[in-house]
Amino acid sequence: MKLNIEGLLVYFPYDYIYPEQYSYMLELKRTLDAKGHGVLEMPSGTGKTISLLSLIVAYQRAFPLDVTKLIYCSRTVPEIEKVVEELRKLMEFYAKETGEVNNFLALSLSSRKNLCIHPEVSSLRFGKEVDGKCHSLTASYIRAQRHSNPNQPVCRFYEEFDAVGRQVPLPAGIYNLDDLKDFGRRKGWCPYYLARYAILHANIVVYSYHYLLDPKIADLVSKELAKKSVVVFDEAHNIDNVCIDSMSVNITRRTLDRCQNNVDTLQNTIHKIKETDAAKLREEYRRLVEGLKEANVARETDIYLANPVLPDEVLQEAVPGSIRTAEHFVGFLRRFLEYLKARLRVQHVVQESAPQFLKDIFDKVCIDRKPLRFCAERLQSLLRTLEIADIADFSAVTLISNFATLVSTYSQGFTIIIEPFEDRTPTIANPVLHFSCMDPSIAIKPVFQRFQSVIITSGTLSPLDIYPRILDFRPVTMASFTMTLARTCLCPLIVGRGNDQVALSSKFETREDFAVIRNYGNLLLEMSAVVPDGIVAFFTSYVYMENIVASWYEQGILENIQKNKLIFIETQDAAETSMALEKYQEACENGRGAILLSVARGKVSEGIDFVHHFGRAVIMFGVPYVYTQSRILKARLEYLRDQFQIRENDFLTFDAMRHAAQCVGRAIRGKTDYGLMIFADKRYARSDKRGKLPRWIQEHINDGSLNLTVDEAVQLSKHFLRQMAQPFRQEDQLGLSLLTLEQLQSEEMLQKISQMAHQT
Amino acid sequence: MDDQGCPRCKTTKYRNPSLKLMVNVCGHTLCENCVEMLFVRGSGNCVQCDTPLRKSNFRVQLFEDATVDKEVEIRKKVMKIYNKREFDFPSLRDYNDYLEQVEDIVYNLTNNIDVENTKGRMEQYQRENKDIIQRNKAKLTREQEELEELLLLQQQSNEQRRLEVLQEEQRQLQAKRKSKQALLDELEQSKLPATILLAQHKVRAAQLETQIEQQKQNVKPTSLFSTGIQIGQTVSLQPLPRIQEVLYQYKPLQVETYGPPAPDLEQLSRFGYESLLFFFILLHIQGSNPI
Repeated sequence: MKLNIEGLLVYFPYDYIYPEQYSYMLELKRTLDAKGHGVLEMPSGTGKTISLLSLIVAYQRAFPLDVTKLIYCSRTVPEIEKVVEELRKLMEFYAKETGEVNNFLALSLSSRKNLCIHPEVSSLRFGKEVDGKCHSLTASYIRAQRHSNPNQPVCRFYEEFDAVGRQVPLPAGIYNLDDLKDFGRRKGWCPYYLARYAILHANIVVYSYHYLLDPKIADLVSKELAKKSVVVFDEAHNIDNVCIDSMSVNITRRTLDRCQNNVDTLQNTIHKIKETDAAKLREEYRRLVEGLKEANVARETDIYLANPVLPDEVLQEAVPGSIRTAEHFVGFLRRFLEYLKARLRVQHVVQESAPQFLKDIFDKVCIDRKPLRFCAERLQSLLRTLEIADIADFSAVTLISNFATLVSTYSQGFTIIIEPFEDRTPTIANPVLHFSCMDPSIAIKPVFQRFQSVIITSGTLSPLDIYPRILDFRPVTMASFTMTLARTCLCPLIVGRGNDQVALSSKFETREDFAVIRNYGNLLLEMSAVVPDGIVAFFTSYVYMENIVASWYEQGILENIQKNKLIFIETQDAAETSMALEKYQEACENGRGAILLSVARGKVSEGIDFVHHFGRAVIMFGVPYVYTQSRILKARLEYLRDQFQIRENDFLTFDAMRHAAQCVGRAIRGKTDYGLMIFADKRYARSDKRGKLPRWIQEHINDGSLNLTVDEAVQLSKHFLRQMAQPFRQEDQLGLSLLTLEQLQSEEMLQKISQMAHQT
Repeated sequence: MDDQGCPRCKTTKYRNPSLKLMVNVCGHTLCENCVEMLFVRGSGNCVQCDTPLRKSNFRVQLFEDATVDKEVEIRKKVMKIYNKREFDFPSLRDYNDYLEQVEDIVYNLTNNIDVENTKGRMEQYQRENKDIIQRNKAKLTREQEELEELLLLQQQSNEQRRLEVLQEEQRQLQAKRKSKQALLDELEQSKLPATILLAQHKVRAAQLETQIEQQKQNVKPTSLFSTGIQIGQTVSLQPLPRIQEVLYQYKPLQVETYGPPAPDLEQLSRFGYESLLFFFILLHIQGSNPI
């Protein structure tokens, strides 16, 4: 259908539209008009992706000079593929309606592992291996060697691409990863480099968060993207953690040992080269003296190990004299390494700030701040000069040098924590140095500064105002949309007591209490008798789940449950979990019914949808607080309090509730779907917890569903399930939660929609 | 780490966890016991390289690689002599060259290359730059200064925060005690029923809470003087550098035209345009200062 959104003609590839989609597009258009950033929350299963795509594509067509590019960031490869499929649908609709072939180019980008078509390289299993092998075939000096020595193996796909691929642009169309590979095979071009080259002139790019947020990758891939782009972060409820992870470094004893080997190799190679080809080192030395910018010298395949973000003025300056020659630099690395080793030999936990660390390192091994800052840059140059092909081997020393650069560049927002052992195993020495970023705004700042509109969207972003605070930006629109429903298809219940009036809670004091565990068991048992097909139960941690399941087994509860349904358990092992999931779905499919026991913050809670009969009920046992004793978390909380005036408790509750909402949100993936959401902890009934749930869940929690006993919850669910089991046709939805074009244009509906967006 | 041990008595860290390894200027290790035994007389030769050593020069080995210990030792010595700072050089390039030279000396001394010559060079340098060395002794490098400043700031803010929290707690405690006392007094004296008094008290307590909340947000750090200078910062009292400026000099305006050259006054009068010119001048004067 064709929509008119404040004067913008939007093609929408479906015959019907949800009212919230319409109002979502309204908000989105206002954000784009204002050329600002936006935070938008809309429940999953209401067609967020297609609304985003159709509005932005329409906007691009109407104002090609204002918005030149859409950068769509998603989390996983399957999600990326899904987006591309939606886009394909949209483009087909455009072609059908307008009758002309439009010249839109949209493509997805992923790692070499997903895009390589070289028969040998692509057969490798791990991403790192693929990258290393690819580098050993395509680096510029390898290809230069081939001129003199034709036996030197190179990648023929890259050669072909390099020879002709750049002159002919990628023909317009929609390319997912497989399309790119097919195209590459047909032409004999390397799809990875083709895609990386093509994103510069593509209209729509779909890729993973890391290509924008991880400074090491962003520097390579996304450096030249135009300013007039719209960036969309989908499923962005965890974006702060992604930012933090991309800037943090963990160094263990093993890293240092591997690094020692690396340094030895470097030294040997330098010796060897000095005897055979001293001119090369002299050439590098000359370049460093001149202070030529590395980036101009390097070609695209060489920049495999990019440096972390550096202020521009540092990059312009010449490398300091103390690490200019290769031997001196290796000596420098050796000293730094020995210093780190000495630091890791601690008996108690040490926490210090970056300036303290720098002062100490100067006192102990006379290393200044300036050469440290150039460490990553200098190492890259050395590796390139030494022409070491297999760069994957050098990950340890690269990590160390990145750490050196980061620690000397940022004096604020980072902390260094050295722990001699893990908390769980205090007798085994396993020293770790955490260089931990506490400020997610550091990593995301360049994105906000560079692009004119950044949209952060997800199904669960409540409370909305905390994201702008922790990411340090000023949005022009913040809105939360609810799901308009023809029937109330979700039923959140807060179970606070057992049948024997014991308060249910996963808080630390009552964690071992048998009464609580028994009541949790009862809840699951009774639910398993009432709910058809699949039930998913989430616990707060693996340890807690193990304890509870063990005591359920002793009390004979598991046996009783198994009379009703089969039980599957998520474990930390990925293969085992995916097996369990497969069998769980099989059991739901053939009517036996099943229960999946899993963990909040685990793999199941984040990426896997339980549509329709795969998840008729979700039970959340306890409040999924993060492990609060962790020193990294403590440091971060302190930082949040000092810098952003966010209180510890507020942040912890916010974090716990967004994960709880993620978990229970797994059950409802559309308007025809229905499911129970059971929060089994009395703390959920408090308004400070409840108020942090997304609005679309909060709306359905009334006073009658607070602080229930197990019995009452069972009664309510029976009633709810019986109602939901009645036949439900599309006609029932029409006009209420599903609109045709005429219905949408009616005066009354437009008024309703304009009130819908919940501005904050 | 476990295979670290004394080369003479072959004890390792694994067998004797309290083993203390020592290192001397030559960069070879010995355990504490061996040092005690071999150097009873205060001096002797290294077991491995026969360098004459003194017992007082032995120190605990900090790093696993003893050569690094040796290097750091040498480096500290060299740095004492080569202590020029960046502002002692006309350009960054020169400074970098100097740094490299220092690095060369350290490298040579550590790896026993050309030791005699290098030492000679050092001595010569020391003689030549005596006063600079003396002058720079107490000075930190610019970066060191920055670091010190940052550390100081951190310390200050930590202290500040601690005090604030303490004060806040005190204030809250007092306020609560006061309101409680007030309630008791009222209950004692007032004639109103207790339920109303209790309700009133509740409202007042809530107000107090919000007040405290507001105060919390209003507290501002006081690490600045009113002039904007930070407390504890060292202010340099050097006179401001005089900026040399060149006086403005008039240069006749050169207008580049691509057409024919403009006629001069004489030519104009010949053509009979003089009166017109006069008129223009009059107009110009009138325009600039209206009468």
